[in-house]
Amino acid sequence: MTIRSAAREVFGFFFVLVRRTGRTRTFALLGLIPVALAVVARVFLRGRSGDMAAVSTEILMVFFLQFYIIILALFFGTSIAAEEVENRTLVYLITRPVPKPAIVFGKFAAYSALMGGMTALGLAISFFILNAARLGEPALYATFFRYLGVLVLGILAYTAFFAFLGTVLKRAIILGLVFGFGWETAIQYFPGSTQRFSIVHYLKSLLPYRPGGGGGRGVALLLFRLEPTAPLLAVLALVGITAVFLALTCVLFRAKEYLSED
Amino acid sequence: MTAVISAVNLSKWYGNVLGLNDVSLEIEAGITGLLGPNGAGKSTFMKLATGQLKPNIGTVAIHGRRTWNAPDLFRTVGFCPEPDAFYEDVTGFEFVAGLLRFYGFPKKEIGERAARALDIVDLSKDRDRLIRGYSRGMRQRVKFAQAIAHDPEVLILDEPLSGLDPLGKRKLIKLIKGFKDEGRTVLVSSHVLPEIEALTSQVVLVHQGKVLAQGDVPYIRDLIEAHPHMISVRSSDPRRLAARFVGDPAVLKMTFGADGRTLVVETRNRDHLFGGLTAAVLEAGIEVEEISSPDDNLQAVFEYLVGK
Repeated sequence: MTIRSAAREVFGFFFVLVRRTGRTRTFALLGLIPVALAVVARVFLRGRSGDMAAVSTEILMVFFLQFYIIILALFFGTSIAAEEVENRTLVYLITRPVPKPAIVFGKFAAYSALMGGMTALGLAISFFILNAARLGEPALYATFFRYLGVLVLGILAYTAFFAFLGTVLKRAIILGLVFGFGWETAIQYFPGSTQRFSIVHYLKSLLPYRPGGGGGRGVALLLFRLEPTAPLLAVLALVGITAVFLALTCVLFRAKEYLSED
Repeated sequence: MTAVISAVNLSKWYGNVLGLNDVSLEIEAGITGLLGPNGAGKSTFMKLATGQLKPNIGTVAIHGRRTWNAPDLFRTVGFCPEPDAFYEDVTGFEFVAGLLRFYGFPKKEIGERAARALDIVDLSKDRDRLIRGYSRGMRQRVKFAQAIAHDPEVLILDEPLSGLDPLGKRKLIKLIKGFKDEGRTVLVSSHVLPEIEALTSQVVLVHQGKVLAQGDVPYIRDLIEAHPHMISVRSSDPRRLAARFVGDPAVLKMTFGADGRTLVVETRNRDHLFGGLTAAVLEAGIEVEEISSPDDNLQAVFEYLVGK
């Protein structure tokens, strides 16, 4: 079996499997929190479309970009190798005619597709509830797909990074939390080129940049000191981060010997 | 005959702990039993043979191909692991069929093969239940089903009979023997001699990471027979009983238990001693309450062989 065809089969197996876990259900529910927020905002901001657009951007920036996709990628990404070792199920995969990189690619694709789906659902419902008055404007859909594209790129980059951490370390979650909510949060506000050492910098560089606000006070704070990278470079950087960490994960997973507790 | 599974100077350490030490072994077609107490190195050997572990020294190969990072090899190898570990949120059918996807079979064939494998292990009725809800015996059987579903030439089974009821064991033993009749190679591990004996006459004795002996079951039995046995007899009059065995050449040593009712006899000939006990009951009317053999197990045999 080629890596490609094997990865496709691994994807099929794990896409079914992962949808049934309690963890997925919990995260799917978590992804619907913005929907509740959108409903509440719509009730209180009835008729003020400018305010609702601002809430929509806040939800994207604060909830999805800086919390949801990180927490999803952290738990699903680190589990690509680690859950097989912890649950002692790795044996079922590595005693098959499947190259080890195909296991990484297949699981990565399955988990990313699931995370993308959960994110898209929460984003779409909350976004269109908050922008219901503008449903006839084509620009609204362009904005939505731009947001969604940024989040998908974020999911891929973070998941690849956390998959690498999960392959290197036994307890990757703690370091992942420090990275996701410590490093990523702090470094993005550093002036100069330091902020380019965070994934979120490239994600924010792809969003409409409005210095001095226009998207509400919170957004102005979040974008404070952002020195954006050009969109094309930002996309290339995110794709590069994904490719490099995924490749490193494959190399390591292939070379590493996993010893279960038994 | 040519070896199907071969190990040459195979050694494996887990940090400072020795898992397997300089093992050289050739396993031919048919059933071979890997026999040894818990922690002897059986599972380590099987993990090396199935490419889960990388040898520190030496090589292990199936059909001449080294097993570490050789996925294509596993097209013809089936492995039933020992740990009770599964993807719990799938049904038995989904589990077996899902793993069959990795062989590149067409979708229809996957379904047929999975159904057949589950039928072989009597899980057809429960195939659509989640594995989470399976009993220990059912879990053991579905584990076996995934190992045979792709019709492997070489079957490696790590303690496959543990957790099965006597009927289940009998069925599985019959099934494994069927593989041998088809000319396949089966390597099966156990720490229970009668289980291995029921499966095969070819046995490899493993202890403390080393191969102690390799041969047929009668040879292993001979080793057991040659090993001095302890027979513990609880009786109303252990001293009178002991008096009957004094001077018996088959008796090496006798001691009395702290309870004052137990006589422990060390002998090289168990059958002779049991004959003497029967005579003591019938002729001298000595009441015997219990006879036990505290060291009648593999561990004792291994200790005897190691100490020899």
